[in-house]
Amino acid sequence: MIPCTEFIPAYSELFKYLDAAGGREAVLDFWHYLSDHFLQNLRDLVVANGIRGCWLYWNHTLNEEAADFTMELDEEAGEFSITMHRCPSKGMLLDVKQIEPYHDYCGHCDVLYRRVLEPLGYEYIYDMSETSQARCRLTVRRKA
Amino acid sequence: MTKEMIRRNAADNVYLHKDFHGALSTGLAYLEQRYGAEAVRDYLRQFASTFYAGVTGAINERGLIALREHLERIYALEGGQIRITCTPDELLLEVEACPAVTHMRQHGYAVAPLFYETSKTVYAAICEGTPFESEWLRYDEESGRSAVRFRRRQP
Repeated sequence: MIPCTEFIPAYSELFKYLDAAGGREAVLDFWHYLSDHFLQNLRDLVVANGIRGCWLYWNHTLNEEAADFTMELDEEAGEFSITMHRCPSKGMLLDVKQIEPYHDYCGHCDVLYRRVLEPLGYEYIYDMSETSQARCRLTVRRKA
Repeated sequence: MTKEMIRRNAADNVYLHKDFHGALSTGLAYLEQRYGAEAVRDYLRQFASTFYAGVTGAINERGLIALREHLERIYALEGGQIRITCTPDELLLEVEACPAVTHMRQHGYAVAPLFYETSKTVYAAICEGTPFESEWLRYDEESGRSAVRFRRRQP
């Protein structure tokens, strides 16, 4: 068994395996598949609860992932944001000595969630400028 | 309509997100559909031989007791019920119910047809380059109940 605490290195290695097999297109194809088949719960929560669905989804996942984060919700403004002070996944990949992280590991966060949220009428803004230090910022905003 | 804000530090929670099993399962299903069953085994072999190289090295240094420690650690993390019998030449691991399969079944995630390879292939890869080999004895797809024997390779 691969314990869930060691999933992230396996995930990153899967991106590398796919990249070696078919390049960037193969990785993107997988991210699209994963978004369509694995993120139904995010989709359902946002359909049922609007922007609050983002809060409900990430409040569950980020707490279980023991992330170091600030999360904000403004329902009236239709805006939700996560400021990730230390991403547990990227942080782990930076700490693990025996493997090299996939060069665009954090790209999956841009592709997977955007693919769910934009068709539901939300802007998805993802600042990846500091992902090399395991920091990022994600904003979801209801389109006017 | 409300405004809410929360701030969490890593130390506020225990790192245990079992939904990751569902993501791995989805990844294996994708890999099998697009690239075939051997790609699943090939990927897991590559991952295990790299990520668990330290376990392989420890087995070479200390024998099956090092493998026992690894197995006890990973199943304890997720509350898995296992029984291990171990001698210097043989280790038998019996898993009552796989914690990963149990979580996926309980939460409605599809269990990939080749999900068992996360044990079978991974254990075989960990044993590569050691005096031991693994033998997959039995597996129940519904619960993940399984048994695997590790024994000294015959010359």
